[in-house]
Amino acid sequence: MLASINRKLGLLIFIVAAVYLYLSFQLPNYQYAPIDADVIPKGLGILLLVLSVFLFFSRAVETDAEKAKRDIPKTELGVIAAVFAMIFVYILLFETIGFIITTSLFIFFCSWFLGYRAWKTNILVSLLFPIVMYAIFVFALGIVLPRGILPF
Amino acid sequence: MDAFQGLLTGFQVALSLEGIMFVLIGVIVGTLIGMMPGLGPISAIAIMIPITYGMDPAPALVMMAGVYYGAVFGGSTSSILLNAPGISGTVATAFDGYPMAQQGKAGKALAIAAISSFIGGTVSVVLLMLLAPALSSVAISFGPPAYFALMFMGLTAISSLSEGSTIKAMIAAVAGFMVVTIGIDPQTGTQRFTFGNVNLFDGFDFLIIALGLFAVAEVCMLILNRKNRSLSDDQKLGSLKLSKADLKEMSGPVSRQSFVGFLLGVLPGAGATIASFISYIFEKRIAKNPEEFGKGSIKGLAAPESSNNAATSGAFVPLLSLGIPGSGTTAVMLGAFLVLGVQPGPLLMTDRPEIFWGIIASMYLGNVFLLILNLPLIPYLAKILSIPRPLLISLVIMFSLIGVYSISFNVFDLYMLLVFGALGFAMRIFSFPAPPFILAFILGGMMEQAFRQSMTISNGSLSIFVDSPLPLSLLLVALISLLVPAFLKWRSNRLAYKQN
Repeated sequence: MLASINRKLGLLIFIVAAVYLYLSFQLPNYQYAPIDADVIPKGLGILLLVLSVFLFFSRAVETDAEKAKRDIPKTELGVIAAVFAMIFVYILLFETIGFIITTSLFIFFCSWFLGYRAWKTNILVSLLFPIVMYAIFVFALGIVLPRGILPF
Repeated sequence: MDAFQGLLTGFQVALSLEGIMFVLIGVIVGTLIGMMPGLGPISAIAIMIPITYGMDPAPALVMMAGVYYGAVFGGSTSSILLNAPGISGTVATAFDGYPMAQQGKAGKALAIAAISSFIGGTVSVVLLMLLAPALSSVAISFGPPAYFALMFMGLTAISSLSEGSTIKAMIAAVAGFMVVTIGIDPQTGTQRFTFGNVNLFDGFDFLIIALGLFAVAEVCMLILNRKNRSLSDDQKLGSLKLSKADLKEMSGPVSRQSFVGFLLGVLPGAGATIASFISYIFEKRIAKNPEEFGKGSIKGLAAPESSNNAATSGAFVPLLSLGIPGSGTTAVMLGAFLVLGVQPGPLLMTDRPEIFWGIIASMYLGNVFLLILNLPLIPYLAKILSIPRPLLISLVIMFSLIGVYSISFNVFDLYMLLVFGALGFAMRIFSFPAPPFILAFILGGMMEQAFRQSMTISNGSLSIFVDSPLPLSLLLVALISLLVPAFLKWRSNRLAYKQN
């Protein structure tokens, strides 16, 4: 089982290394620079290529802990994907609608989605956290966060 | 400036009203974040960086150092109470700390942990004070080849000492280095791997990488473990009092392991995790009754606790005196220095003595604060462990997003945070260690610069790295540190393969 996992990973990394190496060879050269900007990338690309081959042929035995880490139910991966999607939507709306409203909504819905049902506390935290953070950043630290549709 | 005079300067920083306040904030925040299972010092430091933007570098860095050792201190609380280590450096703490808690002696275990950590931390600050200036004065004479060799050694040490496969650790390190090459090359102005995207011209800020690879990836792990229990309100802590016999029993391991921990902290690649395990095994080997270990032994708890805190201060030696981090956490700490416009290294002691000595002096103070916080206040601090996981997850995500946004005010960086978060999660699932990645990311730029400077000096000949004894010996150490563990792992893998 592990052999096949290491092979798949080795192959994937080999492809990444090959693409990186190809791009490194496209970098321009300047005649008078003793060591140009392409030297390190080329070296790294070759190193990764070699390491991916090592990984492909590695006969390392997977420990129980490593196996357990990979053993994730599909539904849980779905939950993580959903949280990532929520973050994506948050980023999308962040500057137009503003920090306070998007953050409040995010904290409430994300916590609720992950199984937090004490909705009174949830509403309280969802409102207080963004307001306190906004106050700290904008008024105390002078770091501007998007105001969005709110007047302050 | 001699050490005594320097320390006086440092105490002026640490004992000013501002200094005391920021040390206190640092250790409290560090302790609270470190306590939460899954969240470690790297996330704690990264999350706190945006708070320091408007601050003077000296108090800001004193606070960040407090966050670092506070997180290591706090990690032991969740190890003892929940058997869920806050950080990897406190895994060994749970071996005997959790059985003690199960026997109704949680208070005692916490007190032993607090006192051992305090002594470990204090001993190693004294050693740090003695060693860092000496190393700084030697390092001033280092040329680019020696610097390159030193950084290379740090990178290979952390790759070979990482848990699991050495090949995977090396792949992680190379990948971290590759990310550095994205952007405009500072020496020739060549665009590398930007695909003409303006957002990539400056490369990636280290905070995106640190928060993505650690905080967001940890969020994914927290999501998977969200149904795990948190501390119930009725859990009894028991008395915090220690008897004379208890103190006598812990005196041996604490005094020995404070030194062991410090030395392992100074070495590149080792750090709190390895230090705590080695100390635990060491004490078990020499104990008269090793069968008690794992069942609530005082020695088994005191040894890793003094060692992991000593290692934390030890890790500041190469960071402050050479400007080279020896671990993932000190790499993020270096990032915090750079964000504030401070370059740690041999010149720090002469150029910015208030920072160099301020950090060292603040550690004395910080250790005292931690002891005070952790003894009488522990029952109250432990309440943070009852924060429901779903709420904690949402808040950590928010901290990470705000942190990244407030450095660049660029939404593109937030998307990149998500990308590196996914990468960090994938790395965890497939057992690629993240510390070599972040260390290579932090060191990569400096290594490339040192390499190119060396090659310019030598007119393009690689012999510059082997002509003088210092770079040569450092490279040899790097080679040995890479080959020996790899060989040992290869041999054990082969044996296991044959047995299967």
